[in-house]
Amino acid sequence: MDIINLIFNTAVQTLLSIGKIALILIPVLMVIELAKFYKIIERFTGKMKGLLSFLTLPEEAAFPLLAGIFFGIVLGSALIIDYAREGILRRRDLLLIGIFLSISHSVVEDTFIFAVFGANPAVLIVTRTILAIIITRTAAWLFDQFLKYKAAATTDKDETVETVRK
Amino acid sequence: MPAFTEPLIKGFRKSISLLWLLVKIIVPVSCVVALLDFYGIVDRIAIIFTPAMSLFGLPGEAAISLLLGFLVNIYAAMGAITAITLTPQQITILAVIIGICHELPVETIICRYTGLSIPVSIALRLTTAIAAGIMLNLIYTLVLGG
Repeated sequence: MDIINLIFNTAVQTLLSIGKIALILIPVLMVIELAKFYKIIERFTGKMKGLLSFLTLPEEAAFPLLAGIFFGIVLGSALIIDYAREGILRRRDLLLIGIFLSISHSVVEDTFIFAVFGANPAVLIVTRTILAIIITRTAAWLFDQFLKYKAAATTDKDETVETVRK
Repeated sequence: MPAFTEPLIKGFRKSISLLWLLVKIIVPVSCVVALLDFYGIVDRIAIIFTPAMSLFGLPGEAAISLLLGFLVNIYAAMGAITAITLTPQQITILAVIIGICHELPVETIICRYTGLSIPVSIALRLTTAIAAGIMLNLIYTLVLGG
């Protein structure tokens, strides 16, 4: 009987905390859908220039990046795949967006859910955003160094091929 | 009917289906964790992970929540949190770690489309999450005095 009681009590407790989540989640998702409907994100893309130039990303990266940050990695990635197909972004830029989003995505929904359970939402958002920026910038630097090295290596090879021919 | 009712209805429907998903995940997970706790299995897992968890200033029991977060999703991790008692600071640290590194089996596959390979993605998120956890714990204990 103890076990049945235990399971019953846990289930009730958990349902109550999901009820608390519902009070926040329903309005938040309604606002997110409204934001999508009125294309709020498009209005912010112009204001991202500072961050984008720091991350060495082109302006076209603003929309998939913002969509991923606010609406989640699935939507962000879907847009990225779309951009990749249309050849709007380079492979390097796609990879960097992927790195940024894998650390910081769907910050609204995730943060709300954690906050319901007692986490500090400001600490959550600030830590994830700062880490995503630092790591993406570092990856950009590493990647560009690698590309330079590769470019240098291939030109070296071409030269040796030519000297062999001579 | 004004144009903005459509997204409102869509948002409402989405939240209901997400809440149903939460019920399906969190309720069974928290019941299973409560059972594991009842049979003393949580304590055994906790003893194994106590040294590792102390890096983050978390009790050993929190390892269950972390593992569920890494492998299943945020909601399963929250289900495990309801079964243990944590301070707001500890919940924040746990939330940052899981926030950075969660649902790896699903999300790393999605991320692959951006050109980020699965092993790189896992390594990146795990190390970032662990570093963030250690850093936050240090900030909380050193700067804010615990």
